[in-house]
Amino acid sequence: MQNKKSIGRFFADWSMVILLIALIVIFSVMSPSFLTSLNISNILVQNVHVAVCTTAVFIIMVSGGCDLSIGYQVSVAAVLCTKLLSLGLVSVPVAVVLAIVVCALLGSFNGIMTLVLRSNAMIVTLGTMAIFQGISYLISGSKTFHNLPKPFMYIGQGKIGGVVPINVIIMIAIVAIAIFLLTKTSLGRKVYAAGDNPEAARLAGLDVARIKVLSFTVAGALVGISAILLASRSGSADSGTGAGIEFTGITACVLSGVALKGGEGTLWKAIVAVYVLGVLANGMQLINLGTYPQYIAKGAIMLFSLYLSNREAQTA
Amino acid sequence: MKALDNVSISFEKGEVHALVGENGAGKSTFIKTISGAIRPTSGSIVINGKEYTHLEPSQAIEMGVAVVYQEMIQMEAMTVADNIFMGMPDGFVLDDKARYEKTREILKKFDSDIEPTCLIRELSMANRQIVELAKAIVKNARIIIMDEPTASITMAEQQKLYKLVKTLKADGVTVIYISHRLEELFEICDRVSVLRDGQYVTTINIGDTDKDGLIAYMVGRELQETYPPKKPASKDVVLEVEHLTGNGVKDISFVLHRGEILGFAGLVGAGRTELMSVIYGAAKRESGAVKMNGKEIHPTSPADAMAAGIGLIPEDRKYQGCFLDKPIFWNISISNLKNLSRNLVMDTKREMEIAEDYKEKLRIKTPGLFQTAGGLSGGNQQKVVIAKVLAANPEILIFDEPTRGIDVGARHEIYTLMNELAEQGKSIIMVSSDMEELLGMSERIIVLHEGKMTGELCKEEFSQEVVLKKASGL
Repeated sequence: MQNKKSIGRFFADWSMVILLIALIVIFSVMSPSFLTSLNISNILVQNVHVAVCTTAVFIIMVSGGCDLSIGYQVSVAAVLCTKLLSLGLVSVPVAVVLAIVVCALLGSFNGIMTLVLRSNAMIVTLGTMAIFQGISYLISGSKTFHNLPKPFMYIGQGKIGGVVPINVIIMIAIVAIAIFLLTKTSLGRKVYAAGDNPEAARLAGLDVARIKVLSFTVAGALVGISAILLASRSGSADSGTGAGIEFTGITACVLSGVALKGGEGTLWKAIVAVYVLGVLANGMQLINLGTYPQYIAKGAIMLFSLYLSNREAQTA
Repeated sequence: MKALDNVSISFEKGEVHALVGENGAGKSTFIKTISGAIRPTSGSIVINGKEYTHLEPSQAIEMGVAVVYQEMIQMEAMTVADNIFMGMPDGFVLDDKARYEKTREILKKFDSDIEPTCLIRELSMANRQIVELAKAIVKNARIIIMDEPTASITMAEQQKLYKLVKTLKADGVTVIYISHRLEELFEICDRVSVLRDGQYVTTINIGDTDKDGLIAYMVGRELQETYPPKKPASKDVVLEVEHLTGNGVKDISFVLHRGEILGFAGLVGAGRTELMSVIYGAAKRESGAVKMNGKEIHPTSPADAMAAGIGLIPEDRKYQGCFLDKPIFWNISISNLKNLSRNLVMDTKREMEIAEDYKEKLRIKTPGLFQTAGGLSGGNQQKVVIAKVLAANPEILIFDEPTRGIDVGARHEIYTLMNELAEQGKSIIMVSSDMEELLGMSERIIVLHEGKMTGELCKEEFSQEVVLKKASGL
């Protein structure tokens, strides 16, 4: 029994890593172009902004919230900073700071609205999502912005020594800082407590309302960074940029075992889950699986990994 | 201990039969067996001469048993008619007109002008009760059990309810009436049965007794448990509460001495937990003052109260006290994060040392500090909650139902612990619904009744009768 339990726990802890390795092995066998340095580098680079967004989603979910508006936060920040840059109105550092600050404000707006309306964060952000979408299209006028300055593109495309992509380093740094904050600091402890049992947290003397708003705000700042990473890599942005990314983030979080009710989850697992989804999309393309079979495979893998990560609950 | 032990009561057709007893006397368990919510381990239920070893809920309904619970379970966003006809055989396409007509007819019986198309959430508590009774009538209930029906309604509405009960009685319905308000029993009941500690005490005609007589039946138990001895408290006043009003309690004044254990008695709904919420800053104070060591404090949040030196061990251990799926050390640290971190970074080593220290001091039985709190027994969970509160180093500890759901052995340990804490100079407020515990542990007892203070007793005046009398508002 003890043995069975520890096997269950092993699968729960390592299900994302096992799945990632399994997918890599499978696709390597099926396609000669999968396991090449170019392709692996592509997968890494292409999902950097997803990983940063997932970190934002993770923080909000652990604090007991939910944010469906993240995709259009990315969109607002991306069109705002690329429009200003392409018109030559601001310098690159100003554009970057602006994107981060704007998203932090949008995030705190979500947090405050959730408190003021005393409503479920998912429903509140369903509303703010529409508002942000509108703002984005007002800014962009349905145009796409190109002609971005070189230093800006360097953030998303540059490589240190021609080898190590800068955006990957930024992503790793952000994830590492987030892991540190969440697991090694009193602030992180409070975020988990507020999500796990808000009433007990309040009675234990924590300012749950402030913790939740702060979580939304910090997550917003991360979303701003994600917007810059995405726009600078693709070299252009329009109001469709980033739309729907929150669902990839939520999917990765849930796959990795983040509790929907909050208070539970491990960030590195969620980031591995981002790359499980990334490898899956890339590999299926390389083996020329049609679009519709790809959907089916993606769904099946999601269900399977849920089974793996729930084994602990079943055997405990 | 059995919740209900060998109880036999007979109810007659067309009578209003009251069921009384202290908190935990077994009233709820008794009605649950009649309504089929639980199965008795032995004994039988006889309805109109037919004998059953137990009833299924559907059987109970079929036999005409209906319960109107204090916490009414209703579909808030649906109409009165929808609620009344819920679960009744109906055609596939609903004939609203007929249902509204029938609803009006039934409600008229109760002299009520509630519109059948009204939504439940638009109704007052008393009107909701009428709907609940109408629901029973539609199902042709012959035995209606009412659990604390007047607990949450106004005086004027009470009169309406009494009339309603009389209408039911005139129709030959048997009403089993559970209430803490002894005075109202004399107004509407025919007979009254008394339960005590799960045992049947007696059944008498209401005309043959009075309130004092009833109370004597309700207590009359010998105190069995022994309580650990404790040094008497000092005369220093730590906490003064003056004319405190808010959250349903009115004009409460008392003092707490250093090293004292001050008991708070009252029946369910008397406002004890509500009062503590105000003192702890978890609920809003309307007027009055709370002074600690002579200085006025006005906590507007639990964080404020903790900073002032007040700690709360909440009533609901599992949902307000513990983080069940988090480790023990994590639970112990959560109110003490400021002292356990420097520049936000947690000092994990110190955290574990402190948790280990409390584990030893409070004798928390666990294989390790990484165990989740949810995996512990009730008594050990409670100790974790106490450790959490102590870690924030409060001067005053409020224990709300400190031993609820905790087995006898662990109970004794909690008592010893409370005494030790008091002797170390902590001052303790203990809210309890357990009469023995109150009398055994407290040095003084304050009694509340419907949000007001009805008595303050010192050790020499302690007796179950007096406490229960004051708790009943006599």
